[in-house]
Amino acid sequence: MIEVRELTKRYGATTAVDRLSFTVAPGTVTGFLGPNGAGKSTTMRVLLGLDAAESGEALVNGGRYAALRRPMFEVGALLDAGAVHGGRRAIDHLGWLARSNGVSPRRAAEVLELVGLAGVARKRVGGFSLGMRQRLGVAAALLGDPGVLLFDEPVNGLDPDGVRWIRELMRSLAAEGRTVLISSHLMSEMELTADRLIVIGRGRLIADTSVRELADRFARGVRVRSPRPDELTAVLAAAGGRVEAEQGDALRVTGLDVAEIGDRAAAHGIPLHEVAAQSASLEEAYMELTADSAEFGSVTR
Amino acid sequence: MSEIGTGERRTGLPGGEAVTAHGPAADAAAAGAARAGGTWAGAIAAEWHKLRTVRSTAALAATIGAGFVLCLLWSLYASQYWDGLSAERRAKLTVAPPTQFLELILPVCGVVLGALTLTSEYATGMIRTTLTVLPRRLPLLVAKALAAAGGVFGAGLVALAAALVAGRAIAGGRPMPGFEGSLVEHLPHLVAVALTTAAITLMALGAAALLRSTAATITIGMGLMFVAPPVVRLLPAPWNDRIWWLLPTGFPNQIAPVPGSTAGDDGLPAPVAGALLVAYVAVMVGAGAYAFARRDA
Repeated sequence: MIEVRELTKRYGATTAVDRLSFTVAPGTVTGFLGPNGAGKSTTMRVLLGLDAAESGEALVNGGRYAALRRPMFEVGALLDAGAVHGGRRAIDHLGWLARSNGVSPRRAAEVLELVGLAGVARKRVGGFSLGMRQRLGVAAALLGDPGVLLFDEPVNGLDPDGVRWIRELMRSLAAEGRTVLISSHLMSEMELTADRLIVIGRGRLIADTSVRELADRFARGVRVRSPRPDELTAVLAAAGGRVEAEQGDALRVTGLDVAEIGDRAAAHGIPLHEVAAQSASLEEAYMELTADSAEFGSVTR
Repeated sequence: MSEIGTGERRTGLPGGEAVTAHGPAADAAAAGAARAGGTWAGAIAAEWHKLRTVRSTAALAATIGAGFVLCLLWSLYASQYWDGLSAERRAKLTVAPPTQFLELILPVCGVVLGALTLTSEYATGMIRTTLTVLPRRLPLLVAKALAAAGGVFGAGLVALAAALVAGRAIAGGRPMPGFEGSLVEHLPHLVAVALTTAAITLMALGAAALLRSTAATITIGMGLMFVAPPVVRLLPAPWNDRIWWLLPTGFPNQIAPVPGSTAGDDGLPAPVAGALLVAYVAVMVGAGAYAFARRDA
């Protein structure tokens, strides 16, 4: 369980996080979305006690992170996969982490196997690819077998295999009842991974919703094609739908769902060639939501 | 963490295999046992493990080893030189002690290790990982201090003792000042050198916490050790001597001079030099700790 309440964090004159509130529930993968510079990483750093907030609170399992004595048993975090000492062997990196919290050293070998790095346990981390470092970072987060997991942009720089691996891992961790928060600036990725979405922009909450709700919110009606469009228009309008003509013989219907449209058409013996619910892709929905809040927007030509 | 149900956890891998993580029951038992130890013990164990597992530590150990070899060569040279001298010149001769190269090299190692202990983590960003698993900052900094200063003190003392014993064996009973006398008489000086080295390591760590930069910390440390002394000598008397005495690299000879040498005849009284050394460490580590505890990582 993660609770963020009225959190504000400033760096000099810049307000990175502005009265942000949200909660992340166990058993789900929650996507933490926003454009670059929206305040995702800052929020995570405050959650982990690395940065001090100006006001508000960020709680993990009901308490402040900094008060945890052995945090690895409660929270696993991967902020930056590159933040490792290149001269250290993978097993030694996990070794010092395990010792810091009194995790059994045997567990280091276990998690290395879990992330598929057992074969390179004795290799120095400096020679690892970004994908291998991400896996090592995930291994580190899982060392204490924690119930809360935070990952900052875990799929950045991964190949398709790695992306799929992270996605499946996140989903299985949530299915075990853990609280999983993943930040990303890629809606397309979260669409496949997350159950819930917290969208922020310029440090403020834009949406706290489920993937499903977001898709519904940006629904664009039903596209219908029929050889008798005029008759169909009349029938659907009588049933309470709003019908607009589109290119060719296609109609866009809002206010009626696919089943209703099919039933009405059948009742009047009107043949249908196509009935398809249309929605903005989640990518578009996300772009629309965050359009005003991109920190470094490009000039539209 | 116990809100998760019973049974084994299985986590899928891309290849479709599944690897069993340990179950929550076993987990709770292991965690309970592990949690019995304190935060301090964990922090110290982690920092010591970090220190042991990077190549820069091995390089520093090799440097100390090289210092030991230089000390042996010096003892050989000094013995042969002594043999060629008349009795009259022997009486006037002051010989550098058999540990002289180590006494130069150890503070350098101290500065480098004290700096790297913290700045290497800032350079890689690993400090955030460290602070995530050990959120209590003061115990963490103390653990770093103990690992670095303790390591340098131990390695330094062993190397110094070895160089002294070997040097005396090489001198083979020649009554050279700095080589003769009982081992016990030499011990205070060796401990003073090792302690000063540990203190310099701590000062470098304090500076590293303030500066967060390897280059800046090591440059300032080296400057104070190698550039400041000749500059101080250029000052008008009596300030050249007075400030010279305040430089920590000279403290070992003021706290416990080499037996038979005249190095301790002027300079600060031993207790004053010792107190100054402690004060330097307190100020540097105190300032570093204040910054480390309060600044965003």
